[in-house]
Amino acid sequence: MDVAIEVTNLHKTYGDIKAVNNISFTVAQGEIFGMLGPNGAGKTTTMEIVEGLRTADAGSVTVLGMNVKQHPREVKANIGVQLQTTALYPRLTVSEVLDLFGSFFPKSLPVPELIELVGLEDSRNKLCINLSGGQQQRLSVALSLVNDPQILFLDEPTSGLDPQARHNIWDVIKLGHERGKTVFLTTHYMEEAERLCERVAIIDHGEIIATDQPERLVEQHFQEEAIEFELDQSVALDELRQLAGATNALIENGRVTVYSNSVPTTISALLELARQRNIELTDLYVRRATLEDVFLKLTGRRIRE
Amino acid sequence: MKAFWKLLVANIKQFVRERAALFWTFAFPVFFILIFGAVFSGSEDVTFSVGLVVEDNSPAAQSLSAVLEQVPPFEIHPGERDTELKALEKGDRRAVIIVPSNFGEAIARGNKGEIDIYYDPTQTMSAQILLPIIHRVLDEFDRMLGQTPSMIQLNERTLQIRNLRAIDYLTPGILAMAIMQLGLFAAIPLVVERQNRVLKRLGATPLRRSTMIASVVVFRLLVSLGQAALIIVVARLVFHVPMLGNWLYLAGMIILGALTFLAMGYMLSAFAKNEDAATPLVMAIQFPMMFLSGIFFSVEMMPGFMRPIMNAMPLTYLGDSLRQIMVHSSALHPYLINIGVLGGWFLVSIIVAVRFFRWE
Repeated sequence: MDVAIEVTNLHKTYGDIKAVNNISFTVAQGEIFGMLGPNGAGKTTTMEIVEGLRTADAGSVTVLGMNVKQHPREVKANIGVQLQTTALYPRLTVSEVLDLFGSFFPKSLPVPELIELVGLEDSRNKLCINLSGGQQQRLSVALSLVNDPQILFLDEPTSGLDPQARHNIWDVIKLGHERGKTVFLTTHYMEEAERLCERVAIIDHGEIIATDQPERLVEQHFQEEAIEFELDQSVALDELRQLAGATNALIENGRVTVYSNSVPTTISALLELARQRNIELTDLYVRRATLEDVFLKLTGRRIRE
Repeated sequence: MKAFWKLLVANIKQFVRERAALFWTFAFPVFFILIFGAVFSGSEDVTFSVGLVVEDNSPAAQSLSAVLEQVPPFEIHPGERDTELKALEKGDRRAVIIVPSNFGEAIARGNKGEIDIYYDPTQTMSAQILLPIIHRVLDEFDRMLGQTPSMIQLNERTLQIRNLRAIDYLTPGILAMAIMQLGLFAAIPLVVERQNRVLKRLGATPLRRSTMIASVVVFRLLVSLGQAALIIVVARLVFHVPMLGNWLYLAGMIILGALTFLAMGYMLSAFAKNEDAATPLVMAIQFPMMFLSGIFFSVEMMPGFMRPIMNAMPLTYLGDSLRQIMVHSSALHPYLINIGVLGGWFLVSIIVAVRFFRWE
């Protein structure tokens, strides 16, 4: 498979902070690749170095076979970039902004096609300032598609959107994927990474701690399932960890997660413990382990704090 | 090139659609002119004080002066040539009519008798009202003499009066102020675009920065020229402020001024982190400049210790140049100095802006 993006030993330091600390990864052509991590983990910095918007202190980036540092304009002509940006030109209409951006590229898609692609037909003559958050996000995705790019860079594409708007954006991304585009996105939404990405790199404190397919990441780190509940009085963590079938337990903000190889065994042991101590268990449910659990296990904290 | 035009059109569309900004850009200087004009030209008199110098004792000259004294809107001041011309220069007379010593002799010989009239062409009121009245009076006089063709030839002599009307002095100043504000305030949208990551988004396309800057600069120049045209037209229609000089020089000076202050605006934008910092910074520069550059008050009114400040400010030189071109005011500085100082500020600002400007 051809390589779309190749990043080798990337470093970037701001003052004392190592924003990017020796990051290497490759993205195959046609792949949806996600970078998952909390805010400030170095996702955006890494992405912007790959796009040629920032320069790295050390390391090399090759996009579509071109060195980004040496051929920034050629790279930019063939990639589509979506930034976390508010209205670009508040008093231009959707069609006008798309037309304007099209003129920046050697070749561009027709405006009506772009509008249809992101489903903004009813808002084509609306001024950007009057667009809703979801519509603005769709416009920014449309802008990233203006030059019919080979690679799509999406920085937190669904940040702050309601579930409906989020699904719309996902549909657009999938559509681009079906057309053979490579997608590189950053996110701090687990669900987004799990449902959209073919491969995920988990990043924290400027370092990649794991890279794989989402389901493989979960499989690698968890054969067990998770039992979540809340307690009305505190119980020692060790006691929970020693429940029959349990492999690990965590308490966060009063919410307990117990990982178990055998859910029925663990639950009956848990209920027995609760009955003996007269503890009330609330909001109990069982779920499969997710990327969130992987992140928690690898870093000791949740992705959103 | 396509990107340049599209960006230019986009800027114009954005500008026109931002009604409040549009209103203030064009209405504010016009308000200034209307208010200042109303305040300072309230004393405009309906009678014309006219100096009359009769250097001839012939009956013809005597009867001519008698006729002139009868003209209702004229307040005739008989006197000597020197004193009356001086009075005209000081602005105490609207015109001075001189009947030379050979007037009667010429008429007696059957030649044309010549009389001279001195007035200030920058005072369009005098030129437009006074001259026709005098022509009528002379026609009347001809008829009294019963002679056709006319026996009298009127020689018009123009004389620049140093004492400009307040509104003549102010209009080029307001024009200079408008150019300065448009340039300096350009810092704010630029800072906002950086803050909102618009500049960064543009940086993610193959668009060249030079193309982007060129289109914004051309856009600003167009607005400046439009604003200048409006100011000149309003001042002319409402207060008869003349435009005596060369239109090309005027346009050139407006463009040089606009470029200089635009460069200063961009220099300021390099030192403001966000919109909240940019606005007071621009205000802090533009207010002192507005009041200490002699665009509203003539230099003589400034206390001496302020002169060095005034001499450092680019607006002083733009105002001076525009005044010289528009109303032929006496020069504070020769053109070359004015152009040199403005050009110097332009270069320094550009260098500082390029050195310190951050795209994100």
